[in-house]
Amino acid sequence: MSLMEIQNLTYYYPDSPKPAMKNIDFTLDEGEFILVAGSSGSGKSSLARVLAGLIPDFYGGRLIGRVFFNGSELRDAERRLLCSSVGIVFQDPEKQLVMTSVEAEIAFGLENLGLPQDEMFRRISEVMSFLGLSPLQQEFTANLSGGQKQKVALAAVLAMQPRLLILDEPTSQLDPMAAEEFLNLVERLNKELGYTVLLIEQRLERCFHLADRLLVMERGEIVCDAPAAEAARWQVAHAHGFIPPVARLFALLDCGAIPLTVKDGRRELKRMLPASTYSAAQPAANKIPQRQAPREKLSQNPAVLEARDLWFTYPNGREALKGINCSIGRGDFAVILGENAAGKTTFLKQAAGLLKPGRGSVAVVGKDTRAASLPDLVRHIGYLSQNPNDYLFQDTVEEELRFTLDNLGIYDHGVIENVLTQLGLSAVRGVNPRDLSGGERQRVALASVLVANPELLLLDEPTRGIDYLLKAELGVLLQRLNRQGMTIVMVTHDVEFAAEYASRVILMFDGRIASDGTARQVLENSLFYSPQAARLFRGFADDVLTVRDGIEVVGKIIRTGGELVNASKPK
Amino acid sequence: MPASQNNIPVRLLLFLSLAIAMIALLLWKYRTLLIQDWGLTATLLIVLALLFLYLGFERSAVSVREIGVIAVLATVAAVARVPFAVIPGVQPTTFLVIVSGFVFGPRAGFMVGATAALVSNLFLGQGPWTPFQMLVWGLVGVSAGFLGLLAPRTGRIGMSIFSLVWGYLFGWLMNLWFWACFVQPLTWQTFLATYAASFIFDTLHASGNIALYMILGPQVVKVLKRFQRKLVFTITPTNP
Amino acid sequence: MLETLCYEEKDALLQNSHPAAVMLFLAVLFFQALLFAHPLYLMGIFIIIILAVVVSGAYEKCEPYLAMSLWVAVLLVIVNTLFVHTGQTVIWRSPVLPVLGRLDISLEAICYGAVMGVRFLIVLLAFALYNAVVHPDKIMSVFSRFAFKSALVLSLSTRMLPAVARDLTNVMEVQQMRGVQFGTGNLRERLRKYSWLLEVILISSLEGSLQIAEAMQARAFGSGPRSRYQRFPVRPRDGIIGLASILSVTLAVYAKARGFADYVYYPQLGTLAGNFPALVWPGLIALALLPVVLMGWGWRHCLSWRSKI
Repeated sequence: MSLMEIQNLTYYYPDSPKPAMKNIDFTLDEGEFILVAGSSGSGKSSLARVLAGLIPDFYGGRLIGRVFFNGSELRDAERRLLCSSVGIVFQDPEKQLVMTSVEAEIAFGLENLGLPQDEMFRRISEVMSFLGLSPLQQEFTANLSGGQKQKVALAAVLAMQPRLLILDEPTSQLDPMAAEEFLNLVERLNKELGYTVLLIEQRLERCFHLADRLLVMERGEIVCDAPAAEAARWQVAHAHGFIPPVARLFALLDCGAIPLTVKDGRRELKRMLPASTYSAAQPAANKIPQRQAPREKLSQNPAVLEARDLWFTYPNGREALKGINCSIGRGDFAVILGENAAGKTTFLKQAAGLLKPGRGSVAVVGKDTRAASLPDLVRHIGYLSQNPNDYLFQDTVEEELRFTLDNLGIYDHGVIENVLTQLGLSAVRGVNPRDLSGGERQRVALASVLVANPELLLLDEPTRGIDYLLKAELGVLLQRLNRQGMTIVMVTHDVEFAAEYASRVILMFDGRIASDGTARQVLENSLFYSPQAARLFRGFADDVLTVRDGIEVVGKIIRTGGELVNASKPK
Repeated sequence: MPASQNNIPVRLLLFLSLAIAMIALLLWKYRTLLIQDWGLTATLLIVLALLFLYLGFERSAVSVREIGVIAVLATVAAVARVPFAVIPGVQPTTFLVIVSGFVFGPRAGFMVGATAALVSNLFLGQGPWTPFQMLVWGLVGVSAGFLGLLAPRTGRIGMSIFSLVWGYLFGWLMNLWFWACFVQPLTWQTFLATYAASFIFDTLHASGNIALYMILGPQVVKVLKRFQRKLVFTITPTNP
Repeated sequence: MLETLCYEEKDALLQNSHPAAVMLFLAVLFFQALLFAHPLYLMGIFIIIILAVVVSGAYEKCEPYLAMSLWVAVLLVIVNTLFVHTGQTVIWRSPVLPVLGRLDISLEAICYGAVMGVRFLIVLLAFALYNAVVHPDKIMSVFSRFAFKSALVLSLSTRMLPAVARDLTNVMEVQQMRGVQFGTGNLRERLRKYSWLLEVILISSLEGSLQIAEAMQARAFGSGPRSRYQRFPVRPRDGIIGLASILSVTLAVYAKARGFADYVYYPQLGTLAGNFPALVWPGLIALALLPVVLMGWGWRHCLSWRSKI
């Protein structure tokens, strides 16, 4: 008997004529690890909420079909029993903790279940020990880092001893280190403790190999439900992209066995390259927008942003920048990588003129930020912060753009129209921006920055928490702007994105610049800040950053291998 | 809340008479002990009034969504105490408590006001002003809530007058306690003197309230009402 | 400013005691300050609270409160001088002033103002000490026993406040970069600019409230009767703090009811130490609270006490 079974489920949110999910059939067995992928609005979150009993109990709406838990129908289950059997961790660590200390937070769910004191104490102490939270026992939850918050949220759910653990994009708001740590915990829960896990995730490269099955959702339907390797092959055939680079590469090459990790991939390459089973089959029309190859040399243009021996210490005493020297020329597309608290965001704010140098100087379009007033600078600078919601408060998308123009005193001669078209927002110009999806919200925020036609565009982690399609759209858009002459400086944790689109990469560590050069120079030489494809080909080929590069290289090697190619039968 | 909407005036009367009766009873019972110590009496009354109001919230059936909304509004009201400090006298907390109460009802209004006071002081520093701010902001919310229920169509002018009145009352109630506790003898002269000392601040507060309501009241009410619709939802039954 | 709590870990006894006991102790100090107007009684309580502040390492937190109460003392002296003409011991008589006429500054008015200043200071210090030694989390844990929903709203709001404050800074930066110039323009324009700020925060936070509600629902909130998790053990020190507080307040009420603590300021200052109880009672009341201070000292200086209390 399966743990969960969904039969022919269709669901409508209240007041929505379009179903959020339709004709879902799916079973989940005890101990399985299921990975769910899909673009935003594909119904993956709704699926998670059905399994957790939040649909329709919390959301309302219309649910057709049947859901069974452990053999009995979910709608008959007592809520208390359901809550203790299915645990769910949500996306945003800020929006799911309710108490003021870690211990109280973990106790909250248990208190709601009405458990006796001894039982609560036992469970809380076990969970805290397992997750290594004991040192934080009495810590004020608001003071924790994002990764710690998410771990506490996991602990709070685990203490309720669920049989099914649902994780709805738990790492989308975390930096890579914290995300890695979190997913490692999930792996242990599944492998060592036998938890049944349903994980919805965008960072597939860290969890793809863990999954027993991959579910791909599209427009409210499950379009693929298969083991990971098979699912990778299926997706390549059907032009989907929820595959991490290694698996994508081998699926594109149409290998017999598809390795899922860098280690297996390298073994496969070794086996394959001398005596190849290469087939030249290229994928059909790919849905991913086609990027152009990034420029290979740093521009020699005059500097748009120039920092000279820049030092900065926050009023609370934290020294964030220690002698930054950096000059970003007109037309550069620079990406700043680095761990948390390396000074990336501080540098970006210095460039925006929001913070003034402690020592040294910053010049933007030739203006010293200490001498120039902020209103004078903002005409030349566009700044997109981490959270698009910080921008949206007008009644319509169009007004949101006009707001920026009015403040800057710029007369609108068709520029709004122009930007709306360029960002594909014309259709939603009259819609309240708060009614839009996450990806659209980000584009509106970006549009409200672009209307002023800035010379320098600064972006703070714009790829955080968005799926690969939106990421590709953003990357292509930024490249286009860049080619039109806009200088772009972007802070991110996303090495793959940097490899795909940036012309220049700056690596920061502890308030200093550790490495600075073209994307190729920096990323190929880096041990950790290198994309998966580069790690895969290290030793085989030096100039591989992306899957596309990898395929070219494999092709080239095989072609020069002469007869071996001829020997392999084309498909 | 919709179920009890018809007997709101009755409940309001009941609430007021109960409060008055309690105060009268207390004063009568302890007249000998407390007669020289108005400060203590006033403090006790504040604490009792707060307990009474909290009890009301505790005994009501609030949904989980309402709890979320109340907490969020209280947080925003608490945070608003700081950045507006650059404009003297403008106290957006009062304004936010008024609109919250007006849109979400007396119960939510009280919780937003009282919580905003208590929570902001966890960061800014508690003091004898805390219970006061809790009670007064709480009452601001309660009264705005009743206003919203009894006269939901109160316009910009009406709301501005309401805000003005609370601007002054806020300071006056605060003064009353200070006067009772620390000024002696309790004569009308000292009473007036205490009030005169704070008159400028109260006027600033009151006029700030009006200005805030005139400039952003309708917009914020619109935002809250738009959101209020999300608090109710329906489960459409389907045949299995 | 809003990103860190007032509370700061200092390893003081009161920070390591049961919150209910600490609350009782502080409430007793507060109550007694309002109960007494007699200088000696107030002085006794004042000494205790100063010692408690010192042994808790909370002096820094109390400094702003000292300045505040000094102002109040001055204000009270002025109010009394201007409006109370019953003091008989005139120290200085002003020349005739417009409107106010001739002012008599009497010893009584000054003394009363000063003593009330001390009273106000005790009240302030009781709160300052509360800020310094009671973590909000502890107090909420105690209150959730009696008023669970209210305590939940409170803890939710406390937990969210630093994040909302951070959001506010971010939104302000974003709007500056979109050309909004805060701090310029007339009052109306400034208010408009701040209203944009407020609106963004309000909308974003309200959206977040649904996610929070959902998370609570998923964790079985409101699924039936709750139990309560007790986190704070009761140790001998809590008993001592509690007993000392109760003893002290009993003595205080008794002394007050018997009229020992009555003192007249007007028209002429009464005698301070004329009769026997006037000296003994304030001493007893303060002495009853002394164990708390002693334990607080021992917590710091005789580490072996820690395992005993």
